[in-house]
Amino acid sequence: MRYTLLALLAVFVFSHLAFAELRVITAYPYIADLIEKIGRDRITVKALARGSRDPHHIVPRPSLIAKMRRADLLVINGADLEIGWIPTLIRDSRNPSIQPGKSGFLDFSRYVKLIQVPDRVSRAQGDVHPAGNPHFNLNPEYIIVLARVVEKKLCELDGGNCAYYGRNFSQFSEMWLKRIASWKKSLQHLKGIKVIQYHRSHDYFLEYFGIISIGEMEPLPGIPPTSRHVLKTIQRVKDNNVRLILQDVYHSTTPSRFVADRTGVRIVVLPHDVGSLKKVEDIVSLYDEIVRRLIHD
Amino acid sequence: MKRAFILFTIFLFPICVLSQESELLHNADVHKSKYSSPFAQPKFVPDISLIADFSYATRDYREEEYKDFAIPGFLDAHKRSGVGGSDGIYAFSDSQRRGFNLNYGELNLQSAVDPYFDLFSNFTLTESTFEIEELYITSKSFPFNLQVRLGKFFSNFGRLNSQHEHQWDFADMPVVNNVFFGDGLLERGVQISWLAPLDFYLLIGGEILHGENEASFGSDGFYVRNADLRIKGSDRPNICTGFIKISWDIDDFVVLGGLSGAVGRTRSDYNVNEDEGYAIDACTSIYGVDLTLKYLIDSYRYISFQGEYLYRNMNGSEYAYDGSSFDLRREQSGMYTQLVVRPFIQWRFGVRYDFLHMNEIYVDSVRDPDVQDNLDRFSFMVEYNPSEFTRFRLQYNRDRTKYQGDDRKIINEIILECNFTIGAHGAHKF
Repeated sequence: MRYTLLALLAVFVFSHLAFAELRVITAYPYIADLIEKIGRDRITVKALARGSRDPHHIVPRPSLIAKMRRADLLVINGADLEIGWIPTLIRDSRNPSIQPGKSGFLDFSRYVKLIQVPDRVSRAQGDVHPAGNPHFNLNPEYIIVLARVVEKKLCELDGGNCAYYGRNFSQFSEMWLKRIASWKKSLQHLKGIKVIQYHRSHDYFLEYFGIISIGEMEPLPGIPPTSRHVLKTIQRVKDNNVRLILQDVYHSTTPSRFVADRTGVRIVVLPHDVGSLKKVEDIVSLYDEIVRRLIHD
Repeated sequence: MKRAFILFTIFLFPICVLSQESELLHNADVHKSKYSSPFAQPKFVPDISLIADFSYATRDYREEEYKDFAIPGFLDAHKRSGVGGSDGIYAFSDSQRRGFNLNYGELNLQSAVDPYFDLFSNFTLTESTFEIEELYITSKSFPFNLQVRLGKFFSNFGRLNSQHEHQWDFADMPVVNNVFFGDGLLERGVQISWLAPLDFYLLIGGEILHGENEASFGSDGFYVRNADLRIKGSDRPNICTGFIKISWDIDDFVVLGGLSGAVGRTRSDYNVNEDEGYAIDACTSIYGVDLTLKYLIDSYRYISFQGEYLYRNMNGSEYAYDGSSFDLRREQSGMYTQLVVRPFIQWRFGVRYDFLHMNEIYVDSVRDPDVQDNLDRFSFMVEYNPSEFTRFRLQYNRDRTKYQGDDRKIINEIILECNFTIGAHGAHKF
């Protein structure tokens, strides 16, 4: 009897291992899309957070624990972006294979060079990220690096399909490099212009395409605009010939509109992640839409 | 000429060597490495945080009077002069004194122990005490969706009990939690929980706890002098709990419900050998139902409802100071409901209504007709959070639960609470 049970269990476990697709869970939708680009139909992937929400402030609802329970791989952005919501979820998922340090855990921030790394941190500076600016998904070159990291990870966990993942990566990177060239061309005339952002959410993008960000609507990271700071910003816009105010989709546009009304500067709402706007269905359209909005809007 | 060159070389050679040497010495900087800390492990420092909580409270009764108030059938004046209360600590354990209060400092240390366990600690500091409030390990790689917790921790009974004070939406805990669990069901023991392999969240778990909770349980025996009767202490561990939690989302609407139970022995000695004192030897079961509904409007705004209903059944004997004893049965219940809204990122508003709803006390199977069961309290709070780490909260309570003898005392209370967090504080659960 005991052996029959053991045999049944073995068959069950084996069938699970052998025929199941790799189940991937990601913190944010852009990661899920990147994984889908490489894994396509050989994996299943779901994102925990919604793209339209402030990535710093995701509510750790219990249903997310259930989503993580069966995952073979958890991929996070890292650099403390998820510090306020994901750590307890990982532990409570009771899933040994996705705990930090295991092969089923992948932290993107380990593979890219972060900008704005503070040498000293204090909460007196607001919600600073000790590891540096975590919104690196908006540097187009990093996307290729991360796609490569994904390919390697999928190969590690699912060696049988490695060649398939490799082909998908080559296809993706080829397409992506062409896109970068076309985005560069489109944004050529914006090189060197000065902008104000609500939060330092698009620094990687701006830096890459040569747009200069000279300040934020927030007086300090994570602290909502104060009237004094808004007045200062108006002066700054006037003094520095600022051309645009860049706004994310999740903060209120009221303070930005106030500045815009008094200076005549255009507000551009920029997506930051897949799903943050209706049109932004994947990582390609995310960049397309940012570029489109910067040029026209 | 040749000789001169040789001489020159011979003389120069040591100079070359010397200068090379001095360059080496210069680079090596022999003075620099005099002091070192070869075994320091600064990167292994656990996450450390400190929470400070201050308040200013005022109410329309003076301290001396307020101390004599009771919640009939639930908390009486004896209790306060008895276990844990003789030094003026209130039975209304979360009550604030009139004037300025340093409520607590809470020091948290947490870190991974190894690949298998995480350790949490939570030390409560008052002006004169340092207490291990919680200290436990949680497993992270148990198979079969199981998680084990071992140590001293807040029980996962109900919704509010496992939350820390600074996570509460109000400055004080609901009356029903206070009268059934005192400062909370916080015990040494072991917890095991299982996450069901389903697409929604279903958690089933249980705990075995030591059982020292002074409000409903307790395991130390007592001696009734006038009857020369010794009641033995209960078996330890003394409390068993069980809980089921279920949660799912409908888009941005989060539903979380729970059922809980706690069963254990009660041994409570309220100064049985002094005038008016008494002691209880009973078996107590407490059951709870809780429901949380949260609608997330966007990244920062939400509306949330939380309610919990608790029922207690205590069955056993009561011993009076004169040596007499009776059969005692208490059937009591209470609940709280609260609505909290966060209309702006830095502001929260909340109302809470809590009441003790059933209060039936049978002495030798005869119901005590005098105990009241319409005991309620209304609270309103407004909160300003300049950042995630600072909170200012103004709360008003209209408390109709307290009596002085047979007279109901309606208490108006205002609490201004400030809460600050520094350091690396771990993420909170939902």
